[in-house]
Amino acid sequence: MSKVIVVDDEPFILMMIEDKLKTARIDVVTVRESRHALERIRNERPDLIILDWMMPGLSGIDLCRLIKADPDLRDIPIFMLTAKGQDTDEEQGLQCGVSRYITKPFSPKSLLEMVQETVGNEQL
Amino acid sequence: MLKKRIISRLIGLLIVFALLIVGPYSLTIIKQVQKMNSQEESLSRPGAHDGNPAHREFTSRLIEQMVPFTFYILILAFLLSVFFLRNMLISLTNLRKGTREMKEGNLDVQLDVLTDDELGDVTRAFNDMAVALKNKTLELEQKNRYVTTMLDPLWVVDQEDRIIDINPAFTRLFGHDREDVMGVSVYDLLDEKNALIMRKQRAEERRNGIASIYELNVLSKSGIAVPVLVSGAPMFSGDQIVAQIGILKDFREQRSLREELQNSLDYIETIMNSIPDEMIVIDRSYKIVMANRIATGNAELDLTGQLCHQALHNSPEPCWSQGYECPTHAVFADGKSHGIIHQHTAGNGSIQHYEILASPVKDASGAVRHVIELLRNVTERVEDEAEIVQKNKELTVLNSISGILSRSLKPNEIFTKVLEKMSELLSMDGGGIFFLDEETKEMVCQYHSGITDDYARTISRIRLGEDLPGRVAVTGQIISTSDISRDHRVGWSIIKHSGIRGYCCVPVKGKERIIGVLSLFSVNPHVFTPGEESILSAVGEMTGMALENIRLYEKLSLMYEYQQKRWEEEHRHLLTMSAKLGAEIEIEDIMNQVLGLLRQIFRADFAWMLVNDPSGNLVLRSSTRTGDKEGVTMYAADVTSLERYALSRRQMVPVSDIRAGSRFDISPDVSGYHAAIAVPMFIGEKPVGVFTLYHMIQKDFKEEELHFLEIMANMISVAYERSEYYRRAGREKELADTIVQSVADGIMTVDRQLKVIAVNSAFEKLTGLGRDRAVGVQVCDNFRFSDKNIDFRIRLGESLEEAAQGRAASRTSVLTTRVGSRTPVTITSSPILGNNGTISGIVNLIRDVSREIELDRMKTELVRSVSHEFRTPLSAIVGMTEMLLQGDVEDSRAKKYLEIIRNEGLRLAKMVTELLRLARIDSGKETLQFRQIDIEALLKDIVNTLAAPVDRHYATIRYAMDGASYMLGDEGNLKQVMMNLIDNALTFSDKGCMIQVDIKRTGNMIDIAVTDNGWGIPEEDIPHLSERFFRGKHGYRVKGTGLGLALCKEIVKMHDGTMWVQSTLGKGTTVSISIPHREVT
Repeated sequence: MSKVIVVDDEPFILMMIEDKLKTARIDVVTVRESRHALERIRNERPDLIILDWMMPGLSGIDLCRLIKADPDLRDIPIFMLTAKGQDTDEEQGLQCGVSRYITKPFSPKSLLEMVQETVGNEQL
Repeated sequence: MLKKRIISRLIGLLIVFALLIVGPYSLTIIKQVQKMNSQEESLSRPGAHDGNPAHREFTSRLIEQMVPFTFYILILAFLLSVFFLRNMLISLTNLRKGTREMKEGNLDVQLDVLTDDELGDVTRAFNDMAVALKNKTLELEQKNRYVTTMLDPLWVVDQEDRIIDINPAFTRLFGHDREDVMGVSVYDLLDEKNALIMRKQRAEERRNGIASIYELNVLSKSGIAVPVLVSGAPMFSGDQIVAQIGILKDFREQRSLREELQNSLDYIETIMNSIPDEMIVIDRSYKIVMANRIATGNAELDLTGQLCHQALHNSPEPCWSQGYECPTHAVFADGKSHGIIHQHTAGNGSIQHYEILASPVKDASGAVRHVIELLRNVTERVEDEAEIVQKNKELTVLNSISGILSRSLKPNEIFTKVLEKMSELLSMDGGGIFFLDEETKEMVCQYHSGITDDYARTISRIRLGEDLPGRVAVTGQIISTSDISRDHRVGWSIIKHSGIRGYCCVPVKGKERIIGVLSLFSVNPHVFTPGEESILSAVGEMTGMALENIRLYEKLSLMYEYQQKRWEEEHRHLLTMSAKLGAEIEIEDIMNQVLGLLRQIFRADFAWMLVNDPSGNLVLRSSTRTGDKEGVTMYAADVTSLERYALSRRQMVPVSDIRAGSRFDISPDVSGYHAAIAVPMFIGEKPVGVFTLYHMIQKDFKEEELHFLEIMANMISVAYERSEYYRRAGREKELADTIVQSVADGIMTVDRQLKVIAVNSAFEKLTGLGRDRAVGVQVCDNFRFSDKNIDFRIRLGESLEEAAQGRAASRTSVLTTRVGSRTPVTITSSPILGNNGTISGIVNLIRDVSREIELDRMKTELVRSVSHEFRTPLSAIVGMTEMLLQGDVEDSRAKKYLEIIRNEGLRLAKMVTELLRLARIDSGKETLQFRQIDIEALLKDIVNTLAAPVDRHYATIRYAMDGASYMLGDEGNLKQVMMNLIDNALTFSDKGCMIQVDIKRTGNMIDIAVTDNGWGIPEEDIPHLSERFFRGKHGYRVKGTGLGLALCKEIVKMHDGTMWVQSTLGKGTTVSISIPHREVT
């Protein structure tokens, strides 16, 4: 079973993603406070990380930099799921090694498809 | 008998044997004796034999010997008899032994038949008996085993109903031991009621002789009534009934099953009646066979027996036969459960949506006999969902329209996109936007969609007040019709019979007037709902605002271009002037040249300069007319001339026509002119003189001209004063460049060798470089103090290089000051051009543009925040709706989802409202309605309005007024402010908090303070509280729009008041407002 960690300060976004990914039997770990995220990622070793950008305290982009700086974690693909929709933001995100840049509002269905494309569809 | 026989036989044998042995022997002996006797007699006298003693002795001795001999013979005979009788004895012994063994329980005894006499018969009979006995015993044992191993208890009662036997099962079931109940009356084991039943049954049995089966409760040893089913059978002895056997079948399980069955029937009924949903059971003929109370109650009639389509759809035919999806039909068709959302027609004819779960009821063969339908009225939910989907669509469109409106300043793009989006949202086929041409009073169609250009031309101009667009433009009221061709309210319209059916026209409102209309049409009839109309109105209003903005923007850019041009021109003139004034040449020449320049710049026909002479007369100092003599008194000290007036007022006096009216005495030298402007010159308090520009025509002087003249006056004053100083004190060097010093931008003048020759105080302030350090240094070396100034030095170099070629240049960069702060600046370099076109130096103006950049950044940030803040709730609405529609969410979770969608939708709507409100305030559209406010009534009103949320928080709200009972203000807006503040206090506090509202008058101010004992605000958040979309530390815990306080601040500002926040983390917060007290006039 693939495992995905989702970091977002908005509980309903976490709920939505968790519910949607679970329909495809993907294991989801949700983290609401970004400062705990790195530790959880180290413990859980997910196949994919989905990050919100704008979070209080540690922002998604900073978290992304931290993950990419860790040799053990750098190969885990990262999706940035954010309300920041400007081209420059996307560029900055992609420069940090984000595999996918998804702007809110988003379609849970397409998100699931992207996740499956990245972690592999185990149902098939 | 047998014994007798045996003994007799023994005796017989004994006699036989004795005789057989003794007889011959005795005969032999007797013969021998006789022989001996005869021999003796022959030897002796005849006849003397019995008298012979020897002979007698021998005879007696012989007899003596004969006795033991006979005895032995007898024993021998006895032994022989016993020997011959041994079989009989063994048989007898065996019989005795066999009998004993049998007595001891061994039934397997079989004796050998040794003799063929009676004894043999006896032994045979014994053997037969033993076999028969064994068989009987086995049979009995078998029977006993049956009885004892029987699971059902039994009792045997005699004719007096006393128990004479029970089996172990009886003991097992009732606990009574056999010994305890033997001989006990059965009625002692029954309670009164059951005893009665039993007696009755027994009596009947006796009467009819028929054993019946009946139910009885038998008391167990522990006193518990055990239900049993009794089946009795009589026991006969011959024809006589001797006892009654009763088998007591344990009936507990059946009883409980029966009770369960009864209970479950009750239960089903209870369940059916207690579920809040309607439930009906339908048979194959679509007849309702059962309906719960809710279903019956909702239908207001007894549904049982009705046809379901008749009862629920008001339809004589099953709905599947009319092509509708029918759950009952589907279940009968495939035997599976079906769940659908179905429309029912209620008794009053209204359409109700039902979520129906239809399940089959199958018989043993698997055929569907009935269908159970669970109907849940989801009309509200379906309507809510439809509304959410619609609202979601509307919000998305509104968002995209507001996006278009705020991003684009191109009218073409805006209006075509607005038409496109609105057509899409309302499923319209096209539309047009008409603008009012103020001059011709016509509505001109400038944008259209869905119609051909040719057709657009025929409707391109509509007179104001005519046809529908004309009427809307006059009244400002929306007009909509579902079918214009049939609408009798529309008497005539160019489009009445054009094929257009649905039509709607809304005004496009500018700041204060209607600037056009927006119309949409459809070729099919379309009913415009109030919701659609309000969206259209909002879009009309937004479009109007956008158009105003465009116009404003165009006007501004024109003004900006004009200003830019003016500024450049002014700047060039100033530089020329300052170059001239700065040069050390004769003051007369300067004055003449300056006046000449001024005349040129202002296109004046004449200019002169008058100065005070020691006696107070105004004498000519310089003039643009050749031949005028310097030093001539133009106006005596007591003459009220324009120039005197300007000097006495110490300010410029522009007059559009000096000859109109007779305010001033006019010298004949200037009597031919109309417009004039007198500019007094002062050095400090000391009047220097006045110069006047005269025009032949009448003229109004513009603000910028006045401003420029003022600067000129200062420059000339300084130059004049300096020249006076020169004149008096010779050529003493002193640069007192007042103008340059008074400019707010940093100025650095360099010579041709790019060495700094002068800087002003603003430059010192901006760069942190002292004049002493800067002047005389190569220009770029001045900024070497920081490595970060490389870019600045490069830009300055570029700018200087361009200026050195004779044209003004401008660059932007960031300057690192001496103290290390970084300031964004623009550098403008302008060459100082000499008379003959040579460049004598370059003036560099360095302007701090951090404020402009900050404003720009704030604007961008706001736009970004708006888009960001909208996207988050939209994520919930769009994403969750999608998941609900795709059925990703379980029912129990769906409610939660719908709640979130609703809350986020409301938050979005609130955000839109507050943003529009802020936008109205920003654009100056919001005007206050000042009225007298009864403060106490207002407070009571607020407390009442907030009663529900206050109760929910178990909060206490108190208010106090001190010296303030009435105030002037906009009641609606102030109420909104206080509600927002109290709402914030509630939101950012724990339950049970205390909120205090104080209103008091302090001097000329009304002070309002809202204090809570809530969570408090971190110090670093306080300065940002009224920023739009700022959500502080607690924003993480509680949701809001981030606009409430911003709105409050704006409203307070509109009341000329101030708002500030004091807070201690963990203790509480006070938000204070101070508004000037206005008296009622």
